[in-house]
Amino acid sequence: MDCTSCDTIPPRADRPHTFFAHEQDHCPVCAVAIEARAVLRDGKVVHLLRCPACGPQEKLVSDDAAAWVQAFLARGKVPDGLVGDHLFKHTTSTCPKCLDLVTAQVVIRKGKVYFLKDCGKCGPSEALVSEDANYYVKAYAFARAGTQPLKFRTEAEHGCPTDCGTCDDHEQHTCLPIVEVTDHCNLECPICIVDNKYSKHMEPATFQKIVDGLVDAEGICETIALSGGEPTSHPQILELLKIANRPEIGRVVLITNGIRLGKDRAFAQALKDMGVYVGLQLDGFTAEVHTQIRGRDLVKEKDAALAILAELDIPTQLIFVATRGVNDHQIGQVVELFLSGAHFLSLNFQPVAYTGHGGGTFVHDPLDRLTIPGVIRHIDEQTGGKVGYTDFFPLPCSHPQCVSLTYLLRLEDGSSVPFARFVDFEKHATLLRSSATLPATPEVEDALAEVIHDVFARQDEIPQGPEILKALRRSLDEMFPKKPLSSREAFRVSERQSKSIFLHHYMDRHDFDLERLRKCCHHYPQIDGKIMPACGFNMFHRGAAQGPDTPRAKFGRAPFSLPVIQ
Amino acid sequence: MGLCDGRIAFVTGGSRGLGRAICLNLAREGARVAFNYKANDADAAETVALVEAAGGKASAHKVSVLDRAGLVALAKALDAEHGKVDILVNNAGYGQVVPLALMEESDWDDMLDTHVKGAFLTTQAFLRVMVRERYGRIINVGSLAGVKMMQAPVHYATAKAALKGFTESLAKEIGRYGITVNCVAPGILDQGVSDHLPPARKEEYVRHCALRRIGTLDEAASVISFIASQRASYTNGATIVVDGAV
Repeated sequence: MDCTSCDTIPPRADRPHTFFAHEQDHCPVCAVAIEARAVLRDGKVVHLLRCPACGPQEKLVSDDAAAWVQAFLARGKVPDGLVGDHLFKHTTSTCPKCLDLVTAQVVIRKGKVYFLKDCGKCGPSEALVSEDANYYVKAYAFARAGTQPLKFRTEAEHGCPTDCGTCDDHEQHTCLPIVEVTDHCNLECPICIVDNKYSKHMEPATFQKIVDGLVDAEGICETIALSGGEPTSHPQILELLKIANRPEIGRVVLITNGIRLGKDRAFAQALKDMGVYVGLQLDGFTAEVHTQIRGRDLVKEKDAALAILAELDIPTQLIFVATRGVNDHQIGQVVELFLSGAHFLSLNFQPVAYTGHGGGTFVHDPLDRLTIPGVIRHIDEQTGGKVGYTDFFPLPCSHPQCVSLTYLLRLEDGSSVPFARFVDFEKHATLLRSSATLPATPEVEDALAEVIHDVFARQDEIPQGPEILKALRRSLDEMFPKKPLSSREAFRVSERQSKSIFLHHYMDRHDFDLERLRKCCHHYPQIDGKIMPACGFNMFHRGAAQGPDTPRAKFGRAPFSLPVIQ
Repeated sequence: MGLCDGRIAFVTGGSRGLGRAICLNLAREGARVAFNYKANDADAAETVALVEAAGGKASAHKVSVLDRAGLVALAKALDAEHGKVDILVNNAGYGQVVPLALMEESDWDDMLDTHVKGAFLTTQAFLRVMVRERYGRIINVGSLAGVKMMQAPVHYATAKAALKGFTESLAKEIGRYGITVNCVAPGILDQGVSDHLPPARKEEYVRHCALRRIGTLDEAASVISFIASQRASYTNGATIVVDGAV
């Protein structure tokens, strides 16, 4: 057996650190203006610079990281009486017309956050980035150090996003690998984020190499997702799922529109028998919504898929692409559905990203779109506060502007209570993970012990305090029964103790933020062995950032177009 | 200036014997003392009177250490009155001279319930306040019989040994909140549960004791007051034997 620890990346001199933000700076050698990675290290703040001429550089910015962070956050406070835009920071975005990287001013305007860009070729543009400036600014306080993979695939040479694959400047490992196993689909979605060419189904041998590569790079993968196209259209999809179903991978998720599930009981049963999880796209409940978002009325197909998932008790994630003026009035309905079934483990809201074959040309206003805070507000309003605005927190695992989440504890009466109502997530950020379950790490166990004691001590003050304690006790009894569980059984039992609602805002040409890409942890593994951060791949490689036939970046690599990893 | 000035203490089984001595000693060291008792109102009143005569303040509460709801209500009431409870002494217990051959099941259950379950229920009731306050001193009254091999009733020795385990495990579990948990294990004392020991047993003890005498209630209570004080801030999970060196 090979020793995995002997073949890993040696620690770099600039790590460990916590990537915080991008800031404008200059090369300390040649003085050229370049963007720096501001990182927190050993209580200090350091700018990591990659000068095209002089190579990697470091610059000490502050001896007091805590004070520097507070000053950074204070920049987000708009002076009283200010009329007009308040400059919060700078970052690198894209020109929405030519897709070149351009500097963006991140400004606060009437409580919202906008990018102001000025492309030398195409002129100025503006984009709404967040509907709540308070949320946006405070999210930075959740920045946490990333985890380095066992192996990077490329070396940083020119800088982000050119060296993608992931390079050793990337700030997070692969939390969620999404393997696009086919470019065939049985729908033509007006908001399609990819660009299906109807040309290929991935060979099982190729998929095997991708999975091997992932395990090689990560050691253990909590989840792997199979996507497409529509992965159920792959003639060997069950074979691929079997390949993914290995001890190093905790959860295999099939992302699907559900059409085949509703029609092919044997297929659904096969998924159940293999322990596969289903990520079901469910963007609404009416013919009108389905037609606008997915191209045709899917009410019956979705109902059939939901019925078989419930009947077979298949662990399910619901995926709702939230679109302003199209389906945002049905957000509460999907939350209620999610809360109603024990087999629904998580609900993933994705504010629509205007990129891809459909999404790139979908009619939209970049200044009036749904962002994470807007979706949360709809959840709050449409559930009557059952799941509230303050129940959500930025996920520190990825860049804190990328994902927001809440966990819900299942009470004895079948109802759920958001963890945020009894957990101080600002204190216990380690419990905020890109996962429906919490691993039994010492940090997590420590945090959970604190949470239990805190609820115990304040049970008369916390709404439903005694019920929460009973539910926590039930969780312990189920997770640690008298007859020990296998690790897989324990995994299955533990993930049923709580539910999670995620909001993940993928980026497009309007709100693209290189700083966010830097810490992306949702990656597309490619057939050439590269592991591509999702939004970078969608923007620069897929060739559909503005719809079909969008020119790729010079460094762009199309899916399925490269030599298979050897 | 006392070791426990400004502290609020709760002592189980405080109406007589070692419990009364602990109440008196804590009060002398500046603590405001509350204690529970099971049955004897007159004894409880006497303890209160003795504390007050010594210049302290005490309150007596008639609730069993096996009455979970009563203990929770009492903890809440003391918390409401004082805003905190700093010190808990799990002292309630009794001795019983009976060989295993003659021991009834009810003997065993009563002994284990009073000493061990009583400590568990009382601690759980009062721990909430201490966790909230991020401060606490929990002292379990064990026995030399729970630490060393000696001639003692099996159920008594078992119960006291259990309190040592209770102490060590709980100390690990809640140390993060600034709460220490210790066990004070007296040898034979001049009053209290030792009252009913056969004279020959006491004489044998004295023969093996380096100090050549049995201890006093106040000598054990003084150690408890010290452990309950800020002076003992780094003493945690320990069993302190107070036996004159047997």
